[in-house]
Amino acid sequence: MKKVIALVSLAALLVAGCFAMNYSYNEVPITYDGSDTSVTDLYKDPKSYDLSEPDGVADIIVKTNLEQTMAANNVAAVVFDYRGFDTIGESFILLASIAGSYAILRSGKKRKEEHADEA
Amino acid sequence: MKLKEGIKEKNTVVKCGADLILPFAIVFGLCVIIFGTVSPGGGFQGGVLVASACILLWLGYGYGVTSKALSMELLETNEALGAIAYVLLAACGLFMGVRFCQNVFFDNGNVGDLISAGTITFMSFAVGYKVLTGIGVLLLLMFGMLAGEDDEEEEAE
Repeated sequence: MKKVIALVSLAALLVAGCFAMNYSYNEVPITYDGSDTSVTDLYKDPKSYDLSEPDGVADIIVKTNLEQTMAANNVAAVVFDYRGFDTIGESFILLASIAGSYAILRSGKKRKEEHADEA
Repeated sequence: MKLKEGIKEKNTVVKCGADLILPFAIVFGLCVIIFGTVSPGGGFQGGVLVASACILLWLGYGYGVTSKALSMELLETNEALGAIAYVLLAACGLFMGVRFCQNVFFDNGNVGDLISAGTITFMSFAVGYKVLTGIGVLLLLMFGMLAGEDDEEEEAE
């Protein structure tokens, strides 16, 4: 039974992954693919790089940030809106680190008490 | 041995310095949290700044006073509350019919006002609260470890 459940969940993950890959390949617009940039020319003359407009996702964020979020601080908008899941993970890592230090420090305290009892 | 006695009695200069800097540290940290969305700053950094007040208290008054003044269990409860508040605010997007964590309620005021950024501001507050209580618990744990070591050395001597 366990094997069947594991196989079904793995298959579901595989199907979801294939769907996500297909979706990101077909539906999401390519913002910057680097096709017009020659790396050798850039290496020879770095100042020829066009700095007037940002590339890729930064282009979207810088240009449409005020319409989408009204946040004056772009970094706050990225941390709490565009990458909100990332921030949830970061704050739960803090929770996990506190649990870990509890385990380590409490065990040290207990060992000390046992040592005192023996002595 | 002499140094340990000096630390236990708490030098007057250190105590007065801690008293002097403590309110400014707390107010500065809260300022960084509150104005995170309109200026350089944010929840994480401000939370750590506020939690540094814990260290000042410990430097000035020692472990006994610090552990009486700050209840570790209360801090843990408040950390969980901060995490729950963050998740609920992030789920506001789902209730409004857009994706998780997306900013909603941002149509009030001009750009640069404190609450003009909608849920981003309140999520920043929630993360700041969570981080300041979490780092406070971590620091209290470390202070407890240091106090235990001191007691052990005294027993050995």
